[in-house]
Amino acid sequence: MNSFHQAIGSVFQGSTYLLLFVFASNCIRASDQARDPSTVINNEAVIATSQEKVVKLYGAGGVKGLESYQSGIIIDNSGHILTSWSTVLDVNKVRVVTFDGRRLDATVVGMDPQNELAVLKVDDAGLVGFDLTIASAATTGQRVFAISNLFGIAAGNESCSAQKGVIMATTPLTTRRGKIKSLYQGRVYVLDVMTNNPGASGGALVDLKGHLVGMIGKEIRDEQAGIWLNYALPMDVVKASVDRILSGTTSVQESSLKAVAQPHRPSDIGITLIPDVLAKTPPFVDQVREGSAALRCGLQTNDLILLLNDQRVDSRKSLEKMLSTINRADSFYLLVQRGQELIRIHVRP
Amino acid sequence: MNRADVSWIFLGMVSAWTSLNPSLLAQEREAPTPSPVVLAAQQQRIESMRKASRATVAVYGTDGQGGGSGVCISADGYVLTNFHVSSPFGHRMRCGLNDGKMYESVVAGIDPTGDLAVLKMVGRDDFPVAEIGNSDEVRIGQWCFAAGNPFVLATNLQPTITYGLISGVRRYQYPSGTILEYSDCIQTDAAINPGNSGGPLFNMRGELIGINGRCSFEKRGRVNVGVGYAISIKQAMNFLWQLKSGRVVDHATLGFTVATDTNGKVTVSNILESSDAFRRGIHYGDEILKLGDREISTTNQLKNILGIYPDQWRIPIRYRNDDGIVDTFVRLQNLHLPSELEEIIKGESPQKGPPPQRKPGNPEIPPPDEKAESLKQNKVAKTDALADLYVEKRGYSNYYFNRFELDRILSLRSNQGNWTESSESWKISGEVPRENLTVEIMLSDTTLAFRMGDKSETVHPRQGWPQWIKQRSSIGLAMGMRIWQEWNRRGPRLMGDAIYLGRNPIVGREGLYDVTRVTVSDFDVLVYTSPDTGLIEVIEIFSDNQTDPVELYFDKYEPIDGRASPKWIRLVYGLETQFLVSINSIQIQDGQGGKDL
Repeated sequence: MNSFHQAIGSVFQGSTYLLLFVFASNCIRASDQARDPSTVINNEAVIATSQEKVVKLYGAGGVKGLESYQSGIIIDNSGHILTSWSTVLDVNKVRVVTFDGRRLDATVVGMDPQNELAVLKVDDAGLVGFDLTIASAATTGQRVFAISNLFGIAAGNESCSAQKGVIMATTPLTTRRGKIKSLYQGRVYVLDVMTNNPGASGGALVDLKGHLVGMIGKEIRDEQAGIWLNYALPMDVVKASVDRILSGTTSVQESSLKAVAQPHRPSDIGITLIPDVLAKTPPFVDQVREGSAALRCGLQTNDLILLLNDQRVDSRKSLEKMLSTINRADSFYLLVQRGQELIRIHVRP
Repeated sequence: MNRADVSWIFLGMVSAWTSLNPSLLAQEREAPTPSPVVLAAQQQRIESMRKASRATVAVYGTDGQGGGSGVCISADGYVLTNFHVSSPFGHRMRCGLNDGKMYESVVAGIDPTGDLAVLKMVGRDDFPVAEIGNSDEVRIGQWCFAAGNPFVLATNLQPTITYGLISGVRRYQYPSGTILEYSDCIQTDAAINPGNSGGPLFNMRGELIGINGRCSFEKRGRVNVGVGYAISIKQAMNFLWQLKSGRVVDHATLGFTVATDTNGKVTVSNILESSDAFRRGIHYGDEILKLGDREISTTNQLKNILGIYPDQWRIPIRYRNDDGIVDTFVRLQNLHLPSELEEIIKGESPQKGPPPQRKPGNPEIPPPDEKAESLKQNKVAKTDALADLYVEKRGYSNYYFNRFELDRILSLRSNQGNWTESSESWKISGEVPRENLTVEIMLSDTTLAFRMGDKSETVHPRQGWPQWIKQRSSIGLAMGMRIWQEWNRRGPRLMGDAIYLGRNPIVGREGLYDVTRVTVSDFDVLVYTSPDTGLIEVIEIFSDNQTDPVELYFDKYEPIDGRASPKWIRLVYGLETQFLVSINSIQIQDGQGGKDL
């Protein structure tokens, strides 16, 4: 039994305790309310405020069951938006639609393949976001609200959808290959409400005070049981990724790259990439030459190159540009996605 | 196990545990005692759900198969449900209440576009009724609950309650496959599953705020995925009397389309010159600011608000053109041709597909048993309370209800004094105080004569009216009085083809009014009557659908010879008052037209 089943199983076994917990926490909250009217928890206000910090994102997709839309969370007051890292972002500019219907263009600042999230940036539009410095860990049994644009129901200035739920379990999402397709394998909050629908990923999970406690993850399904998992990435996981991305360790300014005299070239390493036909052609390996360095190091056809020396590679063009800054004599690291696995490869000339 | 049980177990567990942990004794003893606030809230929730469950209906076919939900909204047994729930059953079905009884039921009206239907249960005059809430006050983040018959589980007829959050309001859901369009609907994460369709969504006070009917599914199969939609109770109430008319009810268009221009304004992108909107001054490029009671800032909002109104309603609209902002009313046009609606209904007919089965996992279908069959038939023959409640007629889902409603309106007349004995020759005298003119109307079976000041005109009593109406003639007053006379003297059925339409608003008056359409020779008349008194409030006579009708507004009824007669009549063309007449006398002249036989 894999851990997904375990998570569900443990929740069912523990359901009585869960009920008790919810019941008890309700009591406490309600009696707080009775004592002090100023602490009355107003769902409508909490959700309304949270909805203003969740945006609708539109980008690539719309074919083969891949949605071209998802949700995003404004995470500061300087235009940074947190979202799931997905094919939706495979465009030059991601279209952001705010709660009040404003249409803005965002660029990808950086991404974290391991945690399957990305940070976007829109130019100063006066966006007000969640305060990530407020540490908000959630516990099993806690009530939460999920705010997302699931199914793309909302458009323009229409509000994102709100759902209620309880965190049923906090558990690692270690997956057995071929059962659940997820790159992310870390801890998740398992939810009792169907949050993880098309378009919901990148949405916000907030507590009853409106503090951000997690980000709704991508849709994943147990291939054998056919069960869809509803989950969110906990805030500590998210925040570590966001910090890495914002500190600039995951991406480079391409304009600042300086080519070296004798650089690496894909053909010299021994790989052919798929033809550069899009504005941002994903750097997929098309062929690996017999007897080449690439083959020796373990690169395979259909590998998608995500990172080069921990810097984000967002297209075939950027891969070529980044390779051109590395001296032919030097080795480098690649992070590639093969199917649903992330593989780190040390390329030695 | 209910909450109370849980708390007892909890108490027990805590006391056992704390006895082993004396240091925690003090603080743990307090925790399990529920605050009175919690208990009060729980009690209120229980009460709300109990009340709501009583009016929740489980809808089945006559053979007890299939199923959906509904909600009873009147003591005489009218039930709101979805069109897609009632359509597979044809015109008769059975409705179960949580008193454990099944009631024979018949369909009244259907609204294939808005996915609503009204059924009528028979057998009681004291059916439990859901309290109607205000869906305009529903906000995201409020709690709500759905009641109904998901997966046709309610074998004991007790509804299933699912609890949830209002996830979104004023949602627009495009027609899916068929024409079932959900506009201005409520989105909830309360579990809405197959079988919940047609059932009620309640707020936490147990007031009805919507009719559940649709979910977002996509790739996860037809079970709840946290997104259900309910038709707002406001829309359902707007259509209620239209549905009670037994008609196939239509939705509406404005006669123009809108687009969002480069500045984000919602402007008219196309308009029919024959439309009422065009006659009210709306032209290409004008900005639409408000429709109904709602500000408009996107095209979606306009579609949304339009969807909650039946055709023929006149609703307020605010628009801006080069000269400034204009507030007016627009008369909504029908969205479909009657033939189009017929096609839709055919598509949804019982043969189309089986309704959800009671036990989806159980393929056992009892073999047809002749004895059982004949028993069933006997039973139906003996207890067929519905035999008189269904009349088939083209364009109606059940013509019986149209007759029933028209009878209701006409029965109200008996309180207004008896006109039926009067002769056909009337002389009506009055004045236009503002212009100090006298007015005289002579009605007889040969001619209508009209004199105002020194102007006089005559017209045939039953035909040739449209040309005068197109010219906006003042003789419209005599025509309107002729209709008023005929309605009261002979009744609409002897005037022409009379159809009860439902209830519509009247410009400048509060509330909704019964509307009957009478087709007289070469023109149509709409007669608006008060639902309380049956008195005529407004008469509209249409020459064609490209010209404003003549409208007569009747005011301040007073008895003349024991018969309720209007004191004031206002003549209107296209919202512009032509004049206001004060009626001084209605003289019924014996001999000239002969006594009525």
